[in-house]
Amino acid sequence: MAGQAAGQAVAAPLAQRRGVRWRRWLGLSVPGAIALALLVAGVGADWLAPHDPEYINLGGRLEPPIFAGGTWDYFLGTDDVGRDIFSRLLYGARISLIVVGIVVPGAALLGTLVGLIAGWAGGLTGHLLMRLVDVQLAMPAILFAVLLASLVGPSLRNVIIILLIWTWPSYARLVRADVLSLKERDFVTASRATGAGPVWIMRRHLFPNVVNTVVIIMTLEVALVILAEAALSFLTVGAPPGTPSWGVMISEGRDFMNVAWWPIWLPGLALLIISLTGNLMGDWLRDALDPRLRNVR
Amino acid sequence: MQFWSYFAIRLVQAVFVVFIVATTVFFVSRLVGNPESTLLAPDQRRPEAVERLREDLGLHHPLHVQYGIFLWNLAQGDFGSSWLGGGTPALAAIGDRAVSTFKLGVAGVVFAIALAVPLGILAALKRGTILDWLARFVAVIGQATPSFWLGLMMIFFFAVQLGWFPTGGEEAGFRSLILPAIALGLFELVAIMRLTRSGMIEVMDTDFIRTARAKGLSERVVIGRHAVRHALLPVVTMLGLSLGRLIGGSVIIEMVFAWPGVGRLIIDSIFKNDFPMVQASIIVLAASIALVNLLVDVSYRLVDPRIRAGAA
Repeated sequence: MAGQAAGQAVAAPLAQRRGVRWRRWLGLSVPGAIALALLVAGVGADWLAPHDPEYINLGGRLEPPIFAGGTWDYFLGTDDVGRDIFSRLLYGARISLIVVGIVVPGAALLGTLVGLIAGWAGGLTGHLLMRLVDVQLAMPAILFAVLLASLVGPSLRNVIIILLIWTWPSYARLVRADVLSLKERDFVTASRATGAGPVWIMRRHLFPNVVNTVVIIMTLEVALVILAEAALSFLTVGAPPGTPSWGVMISEGRDFMNVAWWPIWLPGLALLIISLTGNLMGDWLRDALDPRLRNVR
Repeated sequence: MQFWSYFAIRLVQAVFVVFIVATTVFFVSRLVGNPESTLLAPDQRRPEAVERLREDLGLHHPLHVQYGIFLWNLAQGDFGSSWLGGGTPALAAIGDRAVSTFKLGVAGVVFAIALAVPLGILAALKRGTILDWLARFVAVIGQATPSFWLGLMMIFFFAVQLGWFPTGGEEAGFRSLILPAIALGLFELVAIMRLTRSGMIEVMDTDFIRTARAKGLSERVVIGRHAVRHALLPVVTMLGLSLGRLIGGSVIIEMVFAWPGVGRLIIDSIFKNDFPMVQASIIVLAASIALVNLLVDVSYRLVDPRIRAGAA
């Protein structure tokens, strides 16, 4: 009897823990599947798209989607110049992926480096680097984008440059804050005492301790970057007109909003779902790796 | 560190930030802008006309001389005059626009707080119920919605279809403020609500709440007087940051709603290559964000002496 009770007492938490672990992964399954779908759509757009995303067919303008009385040939309908919306959405996913793929790792690298140096060096160097962060915070990046676009014309390259400038400071600030407390810890002091140089300490002691923070911000930034690219393209300072970027699609659908809802609804919904996915994955990762960061954004 | 020396350092930092922004704007606009393309009609673009125009605008000087003149004038509070429309002094042109942007920003903050704080408190008190679940659902969706798309959708439903609100502009007074304020404030609403909720959950577990209950205080007093005050402290500090973010975010909302604010002025001026207007309005915008951030830091220190300046 007593032995049985003891056995249960041991067994119950184990089973519970298994349950928790299993449910934990379940939380990732839906956003994970959507992220995978985005990846497949972006990479495989050439094979998956039923039509050329830029092929203009004035005879078939504003055809409704299949569930609103359209045909299977254009099952998500066509836009104001007869381009297939489904194909444009797929290529739009590719544009989002390209922007995210360059901006997020690039900004993480730059911001981490600045944060490490600013936190470790402190003093004047640290102060000057942190003022750079303040400058960025006081200057809406959209304005830079418009300035740049007015010279060289709207392009995806501009968007990438602007978003790099826009997003690196969030990494720098958090990494610096982490480094400021890490460098007072005994293991860092011990390493210094054995004669380790700053580069060694940053690489072997500081970086491994901030990498969780960086990865979590990166995940949360994915949605932000996708939304920002769309916003800039919507303002006609991002991807050039005609490009199948989701922001451009919304901007072009705007004029026909009262006649046809789908050219503006569908890319908007795509944006919403993707950024929702990014946020959910980021939250999941943060809870799994570092619950301290709950209020970073 | 004494309060005033802290204040002085933060002030110098703020001025420095604005100086860097001004310098950046100056060089970027000089390097990328091409004023004769917008200031002269195509048939007027003869070399001598272009030459005269550049001389009138002071663009014939070398870049470093132009920069010197720019800084010298700025130091005297002279932001220059618009190159278009009879040469209105830039600051005067910004005045009205700034009021509009400020109105929009305040409306956004008020909308966000008025909903977020009660919702956050309720969600925390009814933790685990359908209400809490609903609040969190709205938060997750709200955070993921692109503000410009939300704005367009609201224009479509509430302005075009239902005709409750104007589709844009600010002529209809308060009614014209509602949709842009919602589009602008939604993101902050989510942030404030999350902060309120987690703050409330944390504070309800503390000893002083248990003490207050043990004293026999009614639940209303415990929550209203003791818990909420404590939970709202971080919210108050975030307000300043919110306002700063809102000023920045208003640029795109102003474009969607044809709102006559500073953001639209900047974008219009950039497309017209009106350098003095671009410089002046960006500097004003950056200065107001820097000022808000400064006030937040300083007031936080006044409210909560535990915060050391070195940690900021």
